Amino acid sequence: MRAAYRPGPDAGVTVSDDGMSVYVARLPGGPLLVLDGAAALIWAEATTAPATGWVARVAELVGQPEDAITADVRAFVADLSARELLVPLGGDADPPTRA
Amino acid sequence: MATQEATGAPSAGATVPLEVRIGFAHASVQWIADRCGADLLHVKGAALDPTLVPGRGYSDADVLARPAHVRRLLDELPRHGWELINTFVYGSSFEHSATLRHQDFGLLDLHRIYPGTGPTPERAFDTLWSQRTTKVLGGIDCPVPSHDAQAVVLLLHAARGGSDAKAANDVEWLWTSADDAARDRVLDWVGRLDAGLAFSVITGTLDEHRDDPAYDLWRVAARGGTRMEEWRARVRAARGLRAKLTVASRSVLVNVEHLTIVRGRPVSRAEIVAEFFGRPARGLREQVSRLARRSRR
Repeated sequence: MRAAYRPGPDAGVTVSDDGMSVYVARLPGGPLLVLDGAAALIWAEATTAPATGWVARVAELVGQPEDAITADVRAFVADLSARELLVPLGGDADPPTRA
Repeated sequence: MATQEATGAPSAGATVPLEVRIGFAHASVQWIADRCGADLLHVKGAALDPTLVPGRGYSDADVLARPAHVRRLLDELPRHGWELINTFVYGSSFEHSATLRHQDFGLLDLHRIYPGTGPTPERAFDTLWSQRTTKVLGGIDCPVPSHDAQAVVLLLHAARGGSDAKAANDVEWLWTSADDAARDRVLDWVGRLDAGLAFSVITGTLDEHRDDPAYDLWRVAARGGTRMEEWRARVRAARGLRAKLTVASRSVLVNVEHLTIVRGRPVSRAEIVAEFFGRPARGLREQVSRLARRSRR
């Protein structure tokens, strides 16, 4: 069983003690990104097994219907993937947009 | 929900805790070392085993490089946003570290030697390297000295800390209040690292080493002294006539790098000239006032 994404090969990651902030650095030269609140939750669930249903888990944590957040979540992980900070592992990595 | 770049406005940068930035400084230099084949040990600060001195703070990242690999690191670091702000020769009396700065990750002290260790920088590094372990910093596996070697590294740092409260606290935790078993382990590493002279500062027996060429260097580092005493100690500790003359000639030059940091901006030619003439005068004033204090005792 694996997660939907893993950190990119050149990503350094530090999670705050309360889990509400994730700091991600593109190594070795930066930039250093701060993921706060919902962004931190998305990172945590995207990189935590199982891949199946990871967006639903985010929806549950933020108290929103999955349909309402899927597009935003997809755009967010696409941004991180474009920065090579997240790498999709297949499976449910790319959450579908409901019609 | 958008990501926030910590490199942007100062207010955004303020949201990243210093210890997080420093952790990434370690990760950055390790990433570079892995790619250019350099051996590094991460020492003190974020790399320190937190059980050694609980709650010990830090403000930069310290790494010790295998001496033969220092040049390749200095060549690579600037290619990844690290700016050299102080070179080895002007870093301290021990000429042991260069300071670099990164806009995202803060300050890095790159050590080519660890003051007090020996018998040569290469052998001291090998000794520490042979017992290394790893610690995850900024998400990257970083080699660190063994638990007991870290204690000695901190104590040797404290030995040149003078009256610094942090240094005194390190000595209290790692030596004064340590049990016999812990002290034995410390002494074992002091022996392995040929660190008897520097460690004698901790045990209060430095004056038993007056004949050692590096005695004055440690005396001034531990107890303080004028600039003139500091330079005299550096000349005495330098090995060979050529090295002594190099140190002596350097003592009358202006450290432009240091001046730039102190002033917080590039310095003008006029300021360098003023500093050139000001430094010997300041050294002389310090020497005179010290002699005056002695004569009053």
